[in-house]
Amino acid sequence: MADQGLEGAQPVDLKKHPSGIVPTLQNIVSTVNLDCKLDLKAIALQARNAEYNPKRFAAVIMRIREPKTTALIFASGKMVCTGAKSEQQSKLAARKYARIIQKLGFPAKFKDFKIQNIVGSCDVKFPIRLEGLAYSHGAFSSYEPELFPGLIYRMKQPKIVLLIFVSGKIVLTGAKVREETYTAFENIYPVLTEFRKNQQ
Amino acid sequence: MSGSCKNCSGRSLFRDDVSGNLICSSCGIVQEFDNYDAQLGGLNGPQGTFVRVGTSGSGSVLNYKDKKIYEAQKIIEDITFRLGFSASKSNDVRILVSTITEGEYGQGDWFSILVGACSYVSMRKDNRPLPMSEVASTIECDLHELGRMVLRVVDFLDLKGPAFPGFDIVGSLERAARNSPSFSKVEADTLDIIVKQGIFLLQCAMKWFLTTGRQPLPMVAAVLVLVSGLNEVNVSIDDVAMEVHAKVSTCKKRYRELLGALVEVGKKLPWGKDITKRNIVKNAPFVIQYMELKSMSNTCGQGKNFEDVGIDLQAAVSECLRKELQYESEVNNLEDDSQYFELIGNSWHDESSCDDRNKLNISHECLSLIYTKFLDEMAHLRSSGEINEIYGRKLGRKAGFQSSTEWWEGKSQLSKKLLLHQLLETDVGLNGMPPSFVTSCNAYKRRKEKINAAKNRIQRIMLPSHAAIGDVNAEKERKRKRAVGIEWEDIIIETLLLHDVKEEEIEKGHYNALLDLHVFSSWRS
Repeated sequence: MADQGLEGAQPVDLKKHPSGIVPTLQNIVSTVNLDCKLDLKAIALQARNAEYNPKRFAAVIMRIREPKTTALIFASGKMVCTGAKSEQQSKLAARKYARIIQKLGFPAKFKDFKIQNIVGSCDVKFPIRLEGLAYSHGAFSSYEPELFPGLIYRMKQPKIVLLIFVSGKIVLTGAKVREETYTAFENIYPVLTEFRKNQQ
Repeated sequence: MSGSCKNCSGRSLFRDDVSGNLICSSCGIVQEFDNYDAQLGGLNGPQGTFVRVGTSGSGSVLNYKDKKIYEAQKIIEDITFRLGFSASKSNDVRILVSTITEGEYGQGDWFSILVGACSYVSMRKDNRPLPMSEVASTIECDLHELGRMVLRVVDFLDLKGPAFPGFDIVGSLERAARNSPSFSKVEADTLDIIVKQGIFLLQCAMKWFLTTGRQPLPMVAAVLVLVSGLNEVNVSIDDVAMEVHAKVSTCKKRYRELLGALVEVGKKLPWGKDITKRNIVKNAPFVIQYMELKSMSNTCGQGKNFEDVGIDLQAAVSECLRKELQYESEVNNLEDDSQYFELIGNSWHDESSCDDRNKLNISHECLSLIYTKFLDEMAHLRSSGEINEIYGRKLGRKAGFQSSTEWWEGKSQLSKKLLLHQLLETDVGLNGMPPSFVTSCNAYKRRKEKINAAKNRIQRIMLPSHAAIGDVNAEKERKRKRAVGIEWEDIIIETLLLHDVKEEEIEKGHYNALLDLHVFSSWRS
């Protein structure tokens, strides 16, 4: 459990990451079913870390400090947990929220926990000619500078969406497991080097 | 019968069969006429006006559809007219809308957005420039709302690769110059030059990453303003920005960036160190000329450095000096000019010009003579074929250059629209880096410095004996600095370092992620 969150403190495994760059995970979104109907108003009134405005959004928004996350708790008992930096943190946070709900007197369980999305980012440290990339990878990419500064690259295998910026910064999203993020980056890296602008 | 008697409020109202009036059965009061006209008696009954809401004519469903399609066609016509489309183009748009909606067309706000999106897509398919922001302002909707619809249309039609070329920024510059009211009074010849120079500069800006990942129109506006300034056409950046539907502040920012890039190129000129952002507009003709020559020299597959265009620079400088002579002005400029002359002498390999240098610092007339001689020598070299191939070709094209006071030739292929790879291969004397990349490099450097400083601070605390060696005053100074210079970022870096986070990770600057993973992680223990 510990090693997953600690990859930064160990040397990069070049077999796993031939590029030598490991994308940093920035956000994990997970869902869990508490399997009981919830009275959101009661939760909002009892919990200090909760906000509920049914006119704006039909869920209680609850936050905890550690792991620093936010949860959306719905009346059906479904819960979405966002903001964690690792899968373990996300699960732990979801458990903490479930515990809070239990303490408020609801028979909350912890069913079907699932990671829904993993967002990672990294920097290849060279500028990228987005026009060229968009042209030669037209089937996968959408580059509309009138609308968005980045190139949106929809990788088919693994099914990941990458936002590629001219500064060399990359955002990878849509992964269910972190390996997909890593694979997607290792797939795109050689492509990016093709369109790198040589530094003087 | 609902309602009650107006007199006794009883509810026992009935209708008299003979008169048709409503009468209260308890008090006998005749109620007010209620316009009720019973359609009794079929064909022989009383005649009235047949009123039915929601339809007209026969077959209600068909009619609704006809009307909807009619209204939709009117919207399409209106929008394409306002965008200035030709009849055939409007027809294309109509067909496109019809295909997408499967002949149903539509009603409501979304429909005009769809028509706008189809207009944009249809134009772009034909590689004709029509900025999305112009469409958005024509149909009065948000740019991103339109953008979403455009992407949906593109997805639906499965337009990819060559079928859907990228936004034509060069074309949009030409379009902006030709359609913009600011340039309506400019003569056709001047406008042609403005457009050509604009395209040249714009492609240079593309090469320097000033347009990659940025909205294209502000750069178009910036280039137009700069170029028209150089051609003594006065247009204000605010007007041009408004006409191309770009934000004024962004246009101004791009203008500054463009000037910055020109200053960088100008540094390679002999008087480069005097070129700053303030005087770059005055120097721009020379800088652009240098870039033009550079780009042309490169088409011969050679020429990587300043010397390759040396000869032409001589001409530029001589012309510059000649102008000074014409005006008989600013004798004190002589010193500055001679400095350029020396530099040029260095770049010129001919012995005779080196000798000439010794005669310098005399007068304008002398300088002029030297240059005339120099030019003669060049002409001689040219005719005798001593000059190498690259110069030969170039000068062949530039026969009229020295005699002309025009700084712009417009013969560089950069004045025409180039394909990306051609553009990248062309050398214009500067290889710019994207501003965002430069910023991120600086951020890395800054964080690296902060990390080193933090490491030193930690070292001092962990090994105070080392610190004691230093002199007391220095220590005091350091303390003062620490009190002033330490901010939240330093504290975070210190914390991360103390938690054994790798320096490379800290350098990336994702402090929140790192803090969550390594510091606030009591759950792991």
